[in-house]
Amino acid sequence: MNLDYLWTGFAVALTWQNLLIGLVGCFLGTIIGALPAIGPINGIALLLPIAYTLGLPPESTMILLAAIYTGSEYGGRISSILLNVPGDAGAVMTALDGNPLARQGRAGEALMISGLSSFVGGIIGVVGLTLFAPFLASLAIGFGPAEYFVLMVFAFATLGSMVGSQPVKTLLGCVLGLMLATVGLDPTSGAYRFTFDSPELGDGIDFVVLVIGLFSISEAMLMLESHATGTSIVGKVGRTFVRWKDVVFTTGATLRGSIIGFVVGVLPGTGASVASAVSYTLEKRVSDRDGTFGKGDMRGLASPEAANNSCAAGAFVPMLTLGVPGSGTTAVMLGALMLYNIQPGPQLFAERPEIVGGLIASLYIGNVLLLLLNIPFVGIFSRLLLLPNWILVPGILVLSVVGVYSTHASVEAVLLMLGVGCIGWLLRKLGFDMAPIILGFVLGKVMEVNLRNALAISGGELGILFQSHISIILWVLAALVAVGPWALQLWSRRRRSRA
Amino acid sequence: MDANQRPFPGSLSNRIAALALLAFSLIYGFAGSRIDYAFSSDPLGPRVFPVLLAAVLGLLSLIYLFVPGRSESWPQGTVLMRCIALPALVLIAALLFEPIGFAGAMFVMTAGVGRIFGASWRASLIGGLVQAAFWYLVFGYLLDVYLPVGELFAASRRG
Repeated sequence: MNLDYLWTGFAVALTWQNLLIGLVGCFLGTIIGALPAIGPINGIALLLPIAYTLGLPPESTMILLAAIYTGSEYGGRISSILLNVPGDAGAVMTALDGNPLARQGRAGEALMISGLSSFVGGIIGVVGLTLFAPFLASLAIGFGPAEYFVLMVFAFATLGSMVGSQPVKTLLGCVLGLMLATVGLDPTSGAYRFTFDSPELGDGIDFVVLVIGLFSISEAMLMLESHATGTSIVGKVGRTFVRWKDVVFTTGATLRGSIIGFVVGVLPGTGASVASAVSYTLEKRVSDRDGTFGKGDMRGLASPEAANNSCAAGAFVPMLTLGVPGSGTTAVMLGALMLYNIQPGPQLFAERPEIVGGLIASLYIGNVLLLLLNIPFVGIFSRLLLLPNWILVPGILVLSVVGVYSTHASVEAVLLMLGVGCIGWLLRKLGFDMAPIILGFVLGKVMEVNLRNALAISGGELGILFQSHISIILWVLAALVAVGPWALQLWSRRRRSRA
Repeated sequence: MDANQRPFPGSLSNRIAALALLAFSLIYGFAGSRIDYAFSSDPLGPRVFPVLLAAVLGLLSLIYLFVPGRSESWPQGTVLMRCIALPALVLIAALLFEPIGFAGAMFVMTAGVGRIFGASWRASLIGGLVQAAFWYLVFGYLLDVYLPVGELFAASRRG
């Protein structure tokens, strides 16, 4: 197997600037993950415009954002364990067994074991990424426009059936995102679409404005209603040590969690929250013989933590090889690459090895740095949970305003961000998830262009969408993913009613 | 029984949203079908994809209308006032951004938002001052991001 891209990547990631950027990212990421209100997607949304304005080269921006992403998957466990409030969506399951452990005075051990399983999950995920991504890329080289279009359909089908409990709202979000992407100049015909003759809209809706509005402004407004900060830390962290017995006890759970996490991560659109939920449920079924899960079982802690870290790495596989993000957070990172005019896809491995390789190499380095940061300094991070909202939220808002203003140097952009934020808040109150909108937005142009190119090749014949083996397999997979969970539910309900 | 009267909490607001989305899909689809273009190098042209999306959105919002699902409860009283005050403060800060400069506008925003997040007047004013100064130093000097000084100050400097 040709791993040249990885060696190029290590040469990029090991320069002192990129090491420093990675370290800063890991540190910030852990904090972002630990703070209950904000997760990786908010952190990345906030820091992306600033990295872009500072003129960082694309590989350094990717290293920074990837470090924040990985770091927050580590940090999320801290507030789950200590506060019983998940630090981010991927750490919801961590609280189930982590917090009972903390209540038993074993917070220190819980933080250590979850830190270790995060590391193992992270490394297994990155190894999977290293090996699997070039393989998928070589497969995807054969994709034509028709295959790409069907791939997007598959991505939305997975999203609709796996993310959130309200599939209609998830799909509505995707379509809204796709619609937002149609605004602006249509390159094939030169037509201006939905611009209302405004020159600003000619280039389309700005990614930074959209992301910050949806993930930062609306988040700040939601935080007005949440009361879970800085007050109820369970005692002290206590002694931080790892018992060999616990490590052996949790090894199976960690390995299973890592593998599940990676697979879920590779599926388009499904992020850490799905990965940790699936792995916890499975681990409970496999290991919970004495009913100790949910009462402070180390395995119930190790499994979702390994899964969410492994998932973060897995989510890069479809993003880097197909240009289809594996999670909401990688959707924002895909948008970041587009800001640099880089369209991810199978050719990226050959054309820009410094970006792909640099990112993957930085994940290896980042996981080691994060283990080092998270084992001895976990006490410091846990003290940050005491940061009150009246300091945190104004800080988030300052970063939002600066981020948007600095990429556009216009107050109009800030006002637009505010408007988007208010709409985002309304939608979130109605039970909509923001990630599908972003996913639709970053995939919109590619989806339309590929559909039109496919039909241009076939001379308008729709049959081209069903011609190749790959397209047919993807259509079948999409149908299975869309209908499968419903059919399973129906089947199990019938069985239950019969029993 | 309350549960019988309201089988879906928040279903009314969800239905309103569904109607709004339905209306949006009609307007978007209509506008999409009338996009002006002279030529297109592909058989589909710039109109078909938007019209297709409008049709999908319309269909989904119809499903949404009849199966509205859950939503969170809406804020009331003081919390609602705060939910209005927060974007209002960001709006004020944005409008003040160029006239009085970054530091001043951020002071207004951070102090005000700190206050609605429950800080005392004293704490929010001090917090606002500290944050305005801190972020000004970070962005203006450390990271060298372009930020407006404020027309007022620029004018006085010139004078």
